[in-house]
Amino acid sequence: MMELAQQVGATAAAVDWHAIAPELVLAATACIVLVADLFLPDDAKWLAMPLSAAGIIGTLAAIVSLIGAGNRLTLAGAFEVDGFALLFKGVFCVLGLLILAISFHYFRVGRYYQGEYYFLMLCSLLGGVVMSSARDLVTIFIAIELISIPGFIMAGLRKGDAKSNEAALKFFLFGVLSSAVMLYGMSLAYGATGELLLEGIRAKLTAADEPLIVLSVFFIVVGFAFKISAVPFHFWAPDTYEGSPSPVAAFLSTISKIGGFVGLIVLMFRAFPDVADTWRPIFALLAILTMTVGNMIALRQTHIIRLLAYSGIAQSGYVLVALALIEPGATASNEQAFQSAVIYLAIYGIMDAGAFAAAVAFARRGGSYFIEDYSGLWQRSPVLATLLAGFLISLAGTPPMAGFWAKVFVFLAAIEAQSYLLAIVMGLNAVVAAWYYLAVVKKMFFEKAELAEPVEVPAVLRVAMGLAAAALVAVFVYPRLVTELAERSLF
Amino acid sequence: MNLEVVIFGVMFVVALGCSLAMLFAPNAVHVALFLVGAQMALALAFLLQGAFFVAAIQIIVYAGAIMVLFLFVIMLLGIDLRESLIEPLTGQRGVALGLGAVLAVGLVFVGVQGADLAAGGGDGAAALTELNQGPGNVKALARALFSRYLLPFEVTSILLVVAMVGVMVLARRISAVENDRRAGVPAAEEEAA
Amino acid sequence: MPISYFLVLSALLFSVGVYGVLARQNAVLVLLSIELMLNAVNINLVAFSAFFGSEGVGGQVFALFVIAVAAAEVGVGLAIVILLFRNRQTVDVDEMSYMKW
Repeated sequence: MMELAQQVGATAAAVDWHAIAPELVLAATACIVLVADLFLPDDAKWLAMPLSAAGIIGTLAAIVSLIGAGNRLTLAGAFEVDGFALLFKGVFCVLGLLILAISFHYFRVGRYYQGEYYFLMLCSLLGGVVMSSARDLVTIFIAIELISIPGFIMAGLRKGDAKSNEAALKFFLFGVLSSAVMLYGMSLAYGATGELLLEGIRAKLTAADEPLIVLSVFFIVVGFAFKISAVPFHFWAPDTYEGSPSPVAAFLSTISKIGGFVGLIVLMFRAFPDVADTWRPIFALLAILTMTVGNMIALRQTHIIRLLAYSGIAQSGYVLVALALIEPGATASNEQAFQSAVIYLAIYGIMDAGAFAAAVAFARRGGSYFIEDYSGLWQRSPVLATLLAGFLISLAGTPPMAGFWAKVFVFLAAIEAQSYLLAIVMGLNAVVAAWYYLAVVKKMFFEKAELAEPVEVPAVLRVAMGLAAAALVAVFVYPRLVTELAERSLF
Repeated sequence: MNLEVVIFGVMFVVALGCSLAMLFAPNAVHVALFLVGAQMALALAFLLQGAFFVAAIQIIVYAGAIMVLFLFVIMLLGIDLRESLIEPLTGQRGVALGLGAVLAVGLVFVGVQGADLAAGGGDGAAALTELNQGPGNVKALARALFSRYLLPFEVTSILLVVAMVGVMVLARRISAVENDRRAGVPAAEEEAA
Repeated sequence: MPISYFLVLSALLFSVGVYGVLARQNAVLVLLSIELMLNAVNINLVAFSAFFGSEGVGGQVFALFVIAVAAAEVGVGLAIVILLFRNRQTVDVDEMSYMKW
């Protein structure tokens, strides 16, 4: 073997094993889950979930061990562990634990292919973790595919249900199409610079107005716009969320979407920051459309998952606002915009997953996904009603939840960058959004219940939702918790 | 006019002709076969540029394995029926044609811009000989793949496992007995909606 | 040979693929059109790779990754198509009307 290696003239790749430890732990966990599932008897298949949870906690431990170790660059600069990467790896793992909690009873009672589901979920999570550190085009491409492809499969897990089949096919076709468009953009970026490393691309980009660069950035942004379901590339999202199993919808709307955003942010800030003039208008347009259209359609929804889907689209719009504020050179306001985007994504993930968890908890045993059935939930289950109200209030951006700061930071960044139009559109949208979120809250607390029987919430879900809500309140009280992290994540 | 340009011309006509034929062939099997034709022509294009390994992979994996899978599924499902020529959404084809044409003009413009780029940079043919003279095409690729691109390479292997597991989960036909036991159909109590 | 020849070919194939995606209704045919787009990407990558010479092996490596991922995507996509066909007896994208847009 060594001889062969010498013949080829290969040298052992210098890999910083500690830097990729989180990925290794997660990949190993995924394999263990897949193999263990083979040997578990049918009534013990649920053990895959605690096994996955242990693996994610192990990954978190590996991530924590990397804190304070400084920036690590390995694999010839294609893989970087810095504050930004660590923050998002942490966010992905925490969200992964939340999704596991949401999935547990759903997949156990529903008699799905449990082991395979957890394997696919861990692999998709691995894609997100790799994406946080990816610093060249190939790694970014592979990471986004590893996030998406298990998603296509998970969306179709309700095999007998035509809606689920349709959800999977729609998601698949849009996902593959967006990859092809994105790849075309990447190939042009490679052609314009001869580099696949983001740093190299940035160094070699000279003239911003070269059509090659403009088209390349345009294709890449359009490709990612599909992934983050920005209007007008959002068509797949509500149908896919509604058709797929609800925990998968929660997964797609948090981890998968944030993964897309992380890739977009890394590309735009590491490769194309000096040509921000070409992409800022695209982002501004996308942001305005995404916020407005998402909220307008969300107003009319009667199905909680579709409501969360459209409101999730609108939430992507707020992050796009932050990205639309970047100007080449203006460092202080750029930093503020960047931090607000990072904070928004982290808080959005937790509150959105929480809202999905509450919806899944309510839909168990005789509940439903229709908003009208939420009336009087306060009398039937005070705990669930309070938690869901907390998440919705946070999504609406009103105190006393962390969602308030998320919106305020983006808003302030827009003012700081003197993008008053974006700030105004955002403010108006926040009001519209508050309307439909609070309508649900009002229904739960001030309307009479049609059914009297209490809604029973499983302990796993209750603990997960409780921790998520506590985190949101804590961040509202001490916003330093997130601003500190965001400051460290600056590129 | 040298031999290379003649080969390129033939390749260009075959690739473009096959891909256009894909659009107008009503039969799904014919569409897939035209794509195979286009891919064969593209393998020739890769050979012209000295990318021997990619050319081989293009034929073995792409035109071979992937397209055979396509044909297999098309035949299996029997969806080689003629696609209706009626537009389901009015103006869908018109819009598609407009978008495609705009895209083509824009991209060709950029392609010609690439000619300026080529004039400014080195000569393609010389660069090619340089690349293949050193360690050789396959060795050069192997070196890059197993050093710099080691992580994406390993991640791709996970991706292929995911695809395998996914295909088995999704396409596996459930027997009637097992259907009751563990079908993806949710239990009634779980999904009242 | 000028690199622009290859870029023009790639541009045309990509556009044809986009047209195919928009105009076709059969899911398998849409997927075939997307494959054509991926092929166009590979032409670009290999052409630029040859253009950059010994520095440009990255383009060919990228093309290999694109082919590998395409294989995974096609496998999953066709499995979804088979699943859908079993339940619905059709793979027309436009006939999917269980959910409104």
